[in-house]
This record gives sequence, C-alpha cells and structure tokens, in this order.
Amino acid sequence: MRTGLTEVWRLIDMRVEDAPTQMAIDEAIASARRREETPNTVRMYRWNPSAVSIGYFQSVAKEVNLDECEKQNVDVIRRITGGGAVYHDYNGELTYSFVAPQNDPKVPKDIMASYELICGAVVKGLTHLGVESEFKPVNDIIAGGKKISGNAQTRRHGVVLQHGTVLIDTDIEKMFQVLRISDAKISDKMIKAVEDRVTNIRRYLDRDVSFMEARNALVKGFEETFDVELVPGELTEYENQLVEDYHIRYSSHGWVFQR
Amino acid sequence: MGVPEMKKADYKIPRGKLVSAEITEDGARLVNVKIMGDFFMHPEEAIVALEGDLKGIRVAELEEVVSRFFSKNKVSLFGISPRDFIHVIRLALEQDIQG
Repeated sequence: MRTGLTEVWRLIDMRVEDAPTQMAIDEAIASARRREETPNTVRMYRWNPSAVSIGYFQSVAKEVNLDECEKQNVDVIRRITGGGAVYHDYNGELTYSFVAPQNDPKVPKDIMASYELICGAVVKGLTHLGVESEFKPVNDIIAGGKKISGNAQTRRHGVVLQHGTVLIDTDIEKMFQVLRISDAKISDKMIKAVEDRVTNIRRYLDRDVSFMEARNALVKGFEETFDVELVPGELTEYENQLVEDYHIRYSSHGWVFQR
Repeated sequence: MGVPEMKKADYKIPRGKLVSAEITEDGARLVNVKIMGDFFMHPEEAIVALEGDLKGIRVAELEEVVSRFFSKNKVSLFGISPRDFIHVIRLALEQDIQG
C-alpha cells in the first residue's frame, strides 16, 4: 500500500519484444535517465522470438552456433554490456533491467558493490519463490551450486544500467545447442557435463512457476531491496524515439558481427 | 620480416573469465590484435583503444604498452587483469599458424 513516504520508481512491465527492441529499450531508458527525462526504472521482460545475447567483447563465431539459431528461429544480438552469452528462451526465461544514476544515494558508487546490491534484489525475489540462492562475484547468482541467473552492468555518462537473466524453465538442452561452450572454460571447472553448471527455478523447486509468479516475486525483491514502490508506467515519447534510433544499430550486421 | 600470420589463443583465467586473442604478426611486430571474451571493462569502448595501442608495436614492447595503457587511462576491469591480456597475446604468439 502506498504510504506517501515511499519513493516511487517506474516499472516497465512484461513487454514481449524481439532482441533488438529489448536492447534498444534498455539503452534508451539509460540515455533518457542521464538527461533527467525519466525516473529510475526497473523492467521485467521476455524475448520473442527467443534469442542469444552475447557480451560486448565476445565473438559471435566463437559463442554462437549460427546454423542452429537459424534452424530454430533464434535471434542473435550483441549487448552493450560485457559478460557472457545468454540464451533468452521465450518459454522459460525472464529478463530484468535496472536503470538509476550512479550518484543515487541508493546505488553504491563501487561497481562490485552495486552488482551485489542489484543481484541481491534478484536473490530476494528468488527467496520469495522458495529458491535459496546467493550472489557469486563477478556477476552470477547460484542456487544449489548451479547458475540460475547471469547479470551484466554498464555505466555510461553517470547512469548505471544492469540487466540480467532469470532462468525459470529454460530448455537447457536447446541452450547448449545454440551456444558454443569453449573447451577451455569446461576443463577449468572440471565438469564433464556442461548441463551440470546450470539450473532453473522449475528444476530447483520441482514445480511449475508461471511468468507472473516469478515477475511478482522479483518486483517484490526490488521493492524491498531499494525501499521503493515500483509503479507500472510507459516509455516516454523521447524514449520511444531513442528506441527507434537504437533499434537500427542493434539490428545491423556491423554491430552484431563486430567481433 | 615475414608474411603476416594469424594466430589465436584462448585463456581461461583461474577464478576469472575467458579471454581470447587473435593476432597477426609479421615476425617482428604485431600487425593486428583482436581481444575477445566474457570479461567486463568500463568503459567498454576502451577495448578498441587498447587494440589500437597494440597495433604495430614490437613483440618485446607488449608488456610495457599494456601496462602503460592501464596506468594512463581510467579503465575498470572485472574478471580480468592487465596481465591476463598480456598472457593471452603471448599464448597466441606461441601458437602454430591457425588454418
């Protein structure tokens, strides 16, 4: 219940869009926030069609099985954030994003501390679902020793943008068909089956969890962590204009295949 | 001085990220360097500047150029350190020519 004392942040709620649009929206909010055009914002969203997003520094050819993506109608996109490749399964994955100025009193200036805090909101959300998880630096959240969420942050012009994936009922077999996992990474962790490194909420709890149930839990996790109320809102006209502009870049061959 | 050769290496940083290098060298100098991986660098665009600084340097200058880049620029790294960039480029230099 709104008390009048709680700070209100905007929630852009459960938009289902293609990969270039989702990445354009995250960047548009960050750009608009820098110009004070827009409030602090949390988004919950899904990708349709399903997509692989790769980190800013990653090589498409090394990380993605492009033939398999084409066969399975999976989009491929490069993020503006670093980190690793993620399979965003339309039927089993929820993505969040967080935008706030880095001088906001609720956001730690130190990058690792802010990762821990924002990931802490996800951990809290997962707790509400019955999933006991923990932040594992640099950017993972693990449950029962396995990765359940990956997160990536960038800071541009004084604004923090962090987005992350929460695996609800991701098709893990398909995930490893569309992603290439390097031998170097596997051998270091001494794990034979790559599937053993990843879990999802459905597997962990051994019950179905709807997108809305997961969304509600995560929204609560963010509200509690930042002591704010997330109120559903829409993108501003300025943000929508930026989304159109950024969409062109994100869809371009030059952007996706730059590395 | 020989014909430029493309060499590649991957390096999984212990308790860190994966970094890869693709380099072209002509026997004395690095002609081109591309660094890839799942690490974090703020600001992200600094990678292009680092690759630019490495272009055309003598192999013997590698450590000095990388160290200078990170001391003169305000760049934050997570999951990787400057010496890991040096290490993966050295590994690539030691590789046989890739197909």
